[in-house]
Amino acid sequence: MPEIKVTPLGAGQDVGRSCILVSIGGKNIMLDCGMHMGYNDDRRFPDFSYITQNGRLTDFLDCLIISHFHLDHCGALPYMSEMVGYDGPIYMTHPTKAICPILLEDFRKITVDKKGETNFFTSQMIKDCMKKVIPLNLHQTVQVDDELEIKAYYAGHVLGAAMVHIKVGSESVVYTGDYNMTPDRHLGAAWIDKCRPDILISESTYATTIRDSKRCRERDFLKKVHESIERGGKVLIPVFALGRAQELCILLETFWERMNLKAPIYFSTGLTEKANHYYKLFITWTNQKIRKTFVQRNMFEFKHIKAFDRSYADNPGPMVVFATPGMLHAGQSLQIFKKWAGNEKNMVIMPGYCVQGTIGHKILNGQRKLEMEGRATLDVKLQVEYMSFSAHADAKGIMQLIRMAEPRNMLLVHGEAVKMEFLKGKIEQEFSIDCYMPANGETTTVTTNPSVPVDISLNLLKREMALGGPLPDPKKPRTMHGTLIMKENVSFMLVSSEQALKELGLNEHQLRFTCHVQLQDPHSDADTLHRIYTHLKSVLKGYTIQHLPDGTVIVESIVIKVSSSAEDSNTKVLLLSWSYQVKTWTLFLEGLPMQSKPGSSPNHLVIESLF
Amino acid sequence: EMEDAEFEDILDDWFIESLKTYKDLHVYQLEHPTQVLEWTSGNSVCVAGYSQSKNEILELRLPLKLLADENKSLCAERDFKVSHGGFTDGPVRCLTHIPGTRCAVTNDGLSSDLQVWDLGGEESDVIRRTGSIKGKRSASERGSRIAARPSSAPQVLHGAQISDVQLTELASGETLYKLETDSADPLSSLQFVSDTVFLAGCCNGSVYVADTRTSAPPQLSHSPSSAESVIWWTDAAAGPHPSSRRVIRVSSSGQAVVSDLRNLGGAGCQAQLDVQTPGRCSQVKVSWAPTLDDCISVSGFSGVVQIYNTRLWGAEPQEARPLFEHRGHAVSSQQTDDSVPTFVTSHIWHPERPRTLLSAASDGSVHVWDWVDPNRQGGSPTP
Repeated sequence: MPEIKVTPLGAGQDVGRSCILVSIGGKNIMLDCGMHMGYNDDRRFPDFSYITQNGRLTDFLDCLIISHFHLDHCGALPYMSEMVGYDGPIYMTHPTKAICPILLEDFRKITVDKKGETNFFTSQMIKDCMKKVIPLNLHQTVQVDDELEIKAYYAGHVLGAAMVHIKVGSESVVYTGDYNMTPDRHLGAAWIDKCRPDILISESTYATTIRDSKRCRERDFLKKVHESIERGGKVLIPVFALGRAQELCILLETFWERMNLKAPIYFSTGLTEKANHYYKLFITWTNQKIRKTFVQRNMFEFKHIKAFDRSYADNPGPMVVFATPGMLHAGQSLQIFKKWAGNEKNMVIMPGYCVQGTIGHKILNGQRKLEMEGRATLDVKLQVEYMSFSAHADAKGIMQLIRMAEPRNMLLVHGEAVKMEFLKGKIEQEFSIDCYMPANGETTTVTTNPSVPVDISLNLLKREMALGGPLPDPKKPRTMHGTLIMKENVSFMLVSSEQALKELGLNEHQLRFTCHVQLQDPHSDADTLHRIYTHLKSVLKGYTIQHLPDGTVIVESIVIKVSSSAEDSNTKVLLLSWSYQVKTWTLFLEGLPMQSKPGSSPNHLVIESLF
Repeated sequence: EMEDAEFEDILDDWFIESLKTYKDLHVYQLEHPTQVLEWTSGNSVCVAGYSQSKNEILELRLPLKLLADENKSLCAERDFKVSHGGFTDGPVRCLTHIPGTRCAVTNDGLSSDLQVWDLGGEESDVIRRTGSIKGKRSASERGSRIAARPSSAPQVLHGAQISDVQLTELASGETLYKLETDSADPLSSLQFVSDTVFLAGCCNGSVYVADTRTSAPPQLSHSPSSAESVIWWTDAAAGPHPSSRRVIRVSSSGQAVVSDLRNLGGAGCQAQLDVQTPGRCSQVKVSWAPTLDDCISVSGFSGVVQIYNTRLWGAEPQEARPLFEHRGHAVSSQQTDDSVPTFVTSHIWHPERPRTLLSAASDGSVHVWDWVDPNRQGGSPTP
């Protein structure tokens, strides 16, 4: 039976490293190649030994697809491509291609420079890896090869995030990556058409969550900022150039306007340039509101938000500053942090995850004394706030997505099967589809039922219709006989046997079986035959029985002849002959049945008894 | 288009106001609305659907950020976790957790039979039906009220009308006690005020107090009003001191009467509550605050939960102004059907955190909120 195999790679049940292997229609595809941010050793990489024990992965994979730029989805990419070895195509959307290398380089710098690791990918490896990338546009079908095609769909979540549709022949899989079903201030909601994939693959972690509204998260942000400003404190918000920064700026601008606040808000210039540049490039990836704003004016032209100058950090009084980089690991945000950390009136708001080794990570773990360069210690007295603004789907969102795509099967990765029984039951009940939950390293095999389109010859169709009976119906299939001809590995044609033989230039042969049955009957041959004829006619009503002038009785297609035995004229020999199509027959003679076994050869007749 | 922008504006105003009026605020949207909110532990609640056929029972764990006291600022986790879930064949109108167990009992509001559930443990996330308890009535307009015995082996007190009230032992199904009375008044509340003493509030406003240890007839306190079409709901404060054991009764016309448990008919205090649509309500919930003296909460008249300080009430019924109003459900519900405005279906207080409540509404929203006492605004933020 045709089947699709799905294996999430990696050790343990942990969430945090996405890398899924899919085998479909003879093709092998890797979905995402993430790094597990919680481990320092090899456990942070996916377990590629599942594919091959040693050697390059190129021969084993037809392509690799990256869903978005978060490190738990692309962090292991340079390692896999340049250190393990893979030279095949790597697909990702344009924004992902632009942003990935920046994050990977930042990540590399932190890991090697701050943490002193040696066996890690280099800057050159990141560059070499990105050369293998083929960018994707939304809703555009891309032929990876003659048989494999992929298509990207909008996933929301972060700029450039995509859900991916993979098709080989009539089998298909959709992988969601990270997505969200409710639009936020700068991104739209995920969308996919009713593509009816054989399998829809999604994360299970969000399936058991009910998310707090984005308004409440925003409220918390505004409350914290306002409280700090009111007591004369300074607020530092380290951000990556895109996405959240803009959203938070819009939020603060609206709030400042509403409350008539006077404290200055700044963003570092590096931020503006990068952000504007990216948004110009990827305007189609943001939502309607942003697009409208951008058309009217510059992204960062706010009434209350101004460009930052280094010297402002020393100004007295309250202020808010957006500065890069996002994890406080270097640059302007770190400089400002060092100046403001000693005052308990001040605040730093971390709007996202921080990689191990960064100052951001340390303070989010409660560290209040930091070791800086030259053995200097920094006392962290300011308030540290961790806020998560990332847009993820939840339990309700997953159900909505399933309703949109109408998959035949559901597969959830990164969950503990025992803890997901309820969700599995819910999906199975509501949609009447199977829900699979493989553990990392475990393969799930899903049997598919691909339909193979076949053309039927007009003659054959007419002939079948002439037989009468109900019209063929998807719910009530009808058996028919024909010959399937496959031309050039591509087209299928169903024709009548005669036409097939003609096309092949063969003569038709018929198989007939014969057997002899002995009877004792004193009558003449002709009389015996006639008696058999009348007897059969009375016993087998509803069957076509003919008595032909050439001395044969025909029951449907079974031919009966009578002749006398050479030795004894009272012994009659019945010759029975039937064609291959006749499965079973039962001979009624004097009310006693004589049967053939279905499919039996003429030598193995079972004759129950002779009168 | 205009309506959307207008709607967004109203929301913004309320949210901005909320910066000062709430310490914490969380807003969630369930797939299906719930009429029940029941604590199953200090940090988890049960909710359940009430549509005609199949529904879900969910056990939700409260967000870590809400409960974290020391490291609140370093915790970004604001979401509910669905820790356990199960399916029911009918609506769930009443859900009671049996203290000290992983067991819950429900009633569908159509008969007085009860369903018994295992909420699941570490090994599985499935809530399973383990049995049922037969009630007296196969058909009932409002269904049964249920109360779990606070201590002792798992036992439930239940009944659809006052004459049906019985105490059933869960393990054996045995009836340990029956309330001896002929009255057929339907019940609107049933609760234990001590391990053996319980209070049964009838829809007509009369209240019975009885002890499960004796077969003596219950004490009866008549309804504060003889008006026929008025429905009453009751709650008793189960305080540690007998003196703090008070009972409040609220009517569908917004009348509120407080009396002492030991002297229900005696002089207490009263008020006319400031409810939006008196008369149009079916799901009224009235509750004493577990740790704030004299405070009560009321919901079900509209999309608002109101908190009153009964200490300000006098012997004569006067109009009372609420101390605090949670308008979140009314303000943030998106109305598709204007004929049925969103109303709050249930609310509960956190047993320990003084001003933390959970409320649920007919549009499927569930809010968790920690309100600021308006009289203490500007003071230090200690509970």
